[in-house]
Amino acid sequence: MVSTVAQKRLFHEYKNLSTNPPEGITAGPVSEDDMFYWEALIQGPEETPFEGGVFAAELKFPRDYPLSPPTMKFIGGGIWHPNVYPNGTVCISILHPPGDDPNHYEHASERWSPIQSVEKILISVMSMLAEPNDESPANVEAAKMWRERRPEYEAKVRDEVKKGLGL
Amino acid sequence: MDTPSDISDPTQWLETPLSLLAPLESALRCQVCKEFFNNPVITSCCHTFCSICIRRCLSAEGKCPACRAPDQELKLRRNWAVQELVDAFQTARPSVLDFSTKAAQQAQVEEREQPVNKKRKVAPVEDMQTSEPRPERRRTRSQGHYPQPEQHAAIDTVPEVIEDSQDEDEYIPEHGLVACPICNRKMKEEAVFSHLNVHEESPKKAPPNSSFGPLRAPQKGLVLSGKPPERIPAINYSILKENALRKKLSDLGIPNWGPKQLLHKRHTEWMNLWNANCDSKIPKSKRELLQELDIWERTQGGLATGPSPFVSSSNVMRKDFDAKEWSSSHDDDFKRLIANARKKAGAKIAPATETAPTPPEPLVNSSLAEPNIDTDADHVIDLSG
Repeated sequence: MVSTVAQKRLFHEYKNLSTNPPEGITAGPVSEDDMFYWEALIQGPEETPFEGGVFAAELKFPRDYPLSPPTMKFIGGGIWHPNVYPNGTVCISILHPPGDDPNHYEHASERWSPIQSVEKILISVMSMLAEPNDESPANVEAAKMWRERRPEYEAKVRDEVKKGLGL
Repeated sequence: MDTPSDISDPTQWLETPLSLLAPLESALRCQVCKEFFNNPVITSCCHTFCSICIRRCLSAEGKCPACRAPDQELKLRRNWAVQELVDAFQTARPSVLDFSTKAAQQAQVEEREQPVNKKRKVAPVEDMQTSEPRPERRRTRSQGHYPQPEQHAAIDTVPEVIEDSQDEDEYIPEHGLVACPICNRKMKEEAVFSHLNVHEESPKKAPPNSSFGPLRAPQKGLVLSGKPPERIPAINYSILKENALRKKLSDLGIPNWGPKQLLHKRHTEWMNLWNANCDSKIPKSKRELLQELDIWERTQGGLATGPSPFVSSSNVMRKDFDAKEWSSSHDDDFKRLIANARKKAGAKIAPATETAPTPPEPLVNSSLAEPNIDTDADHVIDLSG
């Protein structure tokens, strides 16, 4: 059932994503009975250690969406990345509402606004995979490794991609 | 309640010969709610939104969602031109869509009758590209968390085929010309829409109510003659005591139960509903507005299911976030988490440079009983940021 502003808006986004998806991305509600819980698949960007991987994530939308942003979390065995918490939760500026910036590093223009969309979030996450943001590590170990021992970081990521594919 | 199939969407044009109407329709929709503009208003920074949408945004952030320029609801002005465009388009939409859908179906039937089709012979490679990825997209979730390493493997397993996918190469052939669905004359795709007017008389496909909006006399005069309802002024909630606010709500004739934070949110929602209604050509009755407030109450207000949904996840980061109330209502959670954290002390140390606190999942929406509920240790990290 689709009745509230949030549900209708999510329906339109779903419709648009399923007819016209950006390359390497699929997303939609797990069940049309609950528009507030989505699953997304993101392909690892080419020419990065994530290449060849396909990463599943869940998106949870608040009831006042699109005023507030959704949360996004990788599922099925996490992902080794400076901006992804060990539990899979993605930490990226577009998922943070504007207003006070608790970290004092993000520009308001990069953060959530009601005219952003699931599509833009997923594209941002894809480019985050390619280019981690070193300023705000969610996974400090991964950030340190990325900064100081790049080859080791890349090897670890490739290894996890392979494991994720069951190879 | 609408079922998803009742909702009109710009993508409906994509499967018809009039696919160029999709961007036109998108432009006539609000970027916040994605519906057709409803009582459109223009901001100081010249962006147009539904009156209710921009009012809700401004009460939450005080900024234009498009360019983030600060703005105030007092500065919003009605955008009649956009309202008329939307009205005219919406009047024409059902008949044009119907016409165009039938044309697409007819073209498909003809194609089946003539299996040897020049266009398809010329561009077999394009066929593969345009038709194959579609079922793959539809597949999407619910097929488990383990994605296929190769796209093509996935495609084979999916029997679902979108009927209209064959039409896409039908109306965008290489020479750039398409056939009129009625007389089969070849013309540029953009010209089809105006050309269809030539056939307008003969086939009685259009429903009887298909009049052309712009040609009708505008209804404005009628409606503006009445005395406009008075707008509700904004309140500075921080200087108002809870009881004073409660009285204000009962003076307005809306429910006045619940804690102060809920009163504040309910007043804001009512003010936005009311003031947006003042922007309407045909204002709704107070009873209708009260029903809308009731929907809000049940989905986002005090009657919403789940633990305190009006303390939605991201409120933690808002300026007006009531930290005291949050900590008192979640005191037990915090204590439990701290106890757990102590047990695991040393195992995981929350980083000092921690970024934005991601809210603990169970508080966001417990109705979505998830198999992937985090361990407590994860919450500790989130909360400490």
